Amino acid sequence: MRLNRFSVFNIHADNTSPSNYFNQKLNYDIFEKVAKKCYIPTNNLLLNLINDFDGKFRLSFSITGTFVEYCEQHIPSVIDSFKELFSTGAVDLIEETYFHSLSSLYDDLDEFEEQVKMHREMIKRIFNYEPRVFRNTEAIYDNRIAKKVQEMGYNGIITEGTEKILHWRSPNFLYKPVNTNLKILLRNYSLSDDVGFRFSAHNWPGYPLTADKYAGWMSQVDGDLVNLFMDYETFGEHQWIETGIFDFLSHLPGEVLKHDHLDFVTVSEAIDLYNTVGEIDVPWAISWADEDRDVSTWLGNDMQLACFNELKDIGRKLKEKGDNDLINTWRKLQTSDHLYYVSTKGLKDGDVHAYFSHYDSPYDGFINYMNILQDLKERVI
Amino acid sequence: MRIAMIGWEYPPFKTGGLGTHCYGLTQSLAEKNVSVDFYMPKTKHNACSNRNNLVIKEVGETDIFPYDRPEDKELAGQFFDSVYRYNDLVVEKVKGDYDLIHCHDWLTMKAGVALKEKMGIPLVLSIHSTEYDRSGWLYPNDWFIKIEKEGMDKADKIIAVSHFTKRVIVDKYGINPDKIIVIHNAVYPLGEREKQNIVLFLGRLTIQKGPEFFLKAAKKVLDHGVNTRFVVAGMGDMFPNLIDKALDMGISNNIIFTGLLTEEEVKHIYRIASVYVMPSVSEPFGITALEAISAGTPTIVSKTAGVAEAFRNCLQVDFWDTDEMANKIISLLNYEPLHKTLSKEGKLEINLFTWDTVADKTISVYNGVI
Repeated sequence: MRLNRFSVFNIHADNTSPSNYFNQKLNYDIFEKVAKKCYIPTNNLLLNLINDFDGKFRLSFSITGTFVEYCEQHIPSVIDSFKELFSTGAVDLIEETYFHSLSSLYDDLDEFEEQVKMHREMIKRIFNYEPRVFRNTEAIYDNRIAKKVQEMGYNGIITEGTEKILHWRSPNFLYKPVNTNLKILLRNYSLSDDVGFRFSAHNWPGYPLTADKYAGWMSQVDGDLVNLFMDYETFGEHQWIETGIFDFLSHLPGEVLKHDHLDFVTVSEAIDLYNTVGEIDVPWAISWADEDRDVSTWLGNDMQLACFNELKDIGRKLKEKGDNDLINTWRKLQTSDHLYYVSTKGLKDGDVHAYFSHYDSPYDGFINYMNILQDLKERVI
Repeated sequence: MRIAMIGWEYPPFKTGGLGTHCYGLTQSLAEKNVSVDFYMPKTKHNACSNRNNLVIKEVGETDIFPYDRPEDKELAGQFFDSVYRYNDLVVEKVKGDYDLIHCHDWLTMKAGVALKEKMGIPLVLSIHSTEYDRSGWLYPNDWFIKIEKEGMDKADKIIAVSHFTKRVIVDKYGINPDKIIVIHNAVYPLGEREKQNIVLFLGRLTIQKGPEFFLKAAKKVLDHGVNTRFVVAGMGDMFPNLIDKALDMGISNNIIFTGLLTEEEVKHIYRIASVYVMPSVSEPFGITALEAISAGTPTIVSKTAGVAEAFRNCLQVDFWDTDEMANKIISLLNYEPLHKTLSKEGKLEINLFTWDTVADKTISVYNGVI
């Protein structure tokens, strides 16, 4: 989500209002571009595959409220195609926070709970369904979040299968949190990233990745299940159509099902089918972002922490005041992207951050975001 | 390897990045067992070397004016005469068993070209700025451009201080890009002191350096109700004009013009400033930005400055966009985490900009022509 240029001279200026914060035009243009390159063609392809394989090809979607709002406002047919996919019975839906936020990291979990409930209502309204498995923003996970998610009635939770929490153990089984009763699905990051990151990397030994090669790798994996979770934008956006990503996807179900011991299940089916094999203890939050697999991508420097603290303070005051319009604006500002753009990691170890940012530098990202937060703050008083 | 290097200034006498560069480069070359005879005009200050294989050779008795484009016709005439006299003297005085000639900017180019022809050895030319930069791209003088072009044509290799400058050399002087190597400048880190509420401009007060944009931004910061002092350090032909401007704008109470500072004063002001702004209209590199950053001072530079292409932990603006310049100055003064992070990350990145690296790259240029 992109913000408008907002300088210190715009703070509390006569002609500014919270509607100036967001770059509606740019956000819509990006959405439209990605819809054409990714959402629409991939949904069509998946629908055909589900029909061709008679429901044996199965998958799950995790969709934010922000995304649904964009669809409803700009290209409602995208929602219709998700509905059609869901109606096949081969598609499951995953719960998350309505906004792509870091509310699970606030001092108390009220806001997190509210955002999960908003998402639950949205899924109920559109799909008439109640998800049983939860996935937090960027798969952020710790013991505290697991406990809350269990208390809210979910049976499963998805997070990253990182060695940080697994040590010598395999991600290809279900685990349970050390402090509560819930089934944890761990992303097999190696196989997931083979598609998400490395698919078109010519210098990667696995290149070119074909569906039969990939299915072959999966067939050799020990364990109960291989969790492949990736950005939907992998298909057609991160990996362009020219890379052959759609050919890969269209051949994948057939190649996987050639192996007798492989089949597809949704996340809800997975937690019904398998038992947990051990406990996972995560006192400090992990995620699936960057090499660090923690929350330093969003909260890794003083600037990010300052924005995050400001955001939390504004929220407390807003809720006391009870201004629903401003609360909605505040929630959009919680989108983790805004903090991601302030990360200084990209200055050192890679250009992923720079690639996704529209600012000249993380410092510009900070100035812009902080100026907006100051403007919002002045509106609360 | 023995090098005859033809320079114009050397500490303690220096007026710009050229002197700083020559000092850092020759010190590190000497450390790497390259013998350098550094020729320069004789000044009141005695330049000398503390190393056996680095000899400072002062030539002639010329009274030197600063590396500049004097506006005054008479002064300019004297200045050009002295440059010519110096170049002629150098051609006479440089004798010895050298492997190559290395000279810097138009001030030494005539001598470089003549020596190359006389001695039959290769010529390496460093370009720290061109006439286009010094004129701020307004009415560049053909007389300088001709000298520069001749030097560039005759040189065996050209070292440009940035890709920005390389492009100028290719586009404006028609030089083959394969002949040009980019070597970014470096800095001896200054170290930090306690910061005061000061926003600093430091440089020659000429069109090239954009001091009037600094004043315009200062006005906007002060009008916004931010209480800070703006220091304009340096001297140049715009000096009286800038004082008038500050008075007209009604901000003279918050602006301090220091005039020319000594080297120690320069270091001090870098260390205590909270923000350094380098709003140059045209800046081939901008060593001053590295100096300020090395003193832990967050720095705002022109987007087109050479340093901006090489250094990541600084803020960048279009020199004419004084609204954005003011936005960034105010943000640095008001948002402590921004100031702290830029200061910290800047000092870390500065460690990559060493004269040792510059010398290594320069030696490989030398090896390519001998």
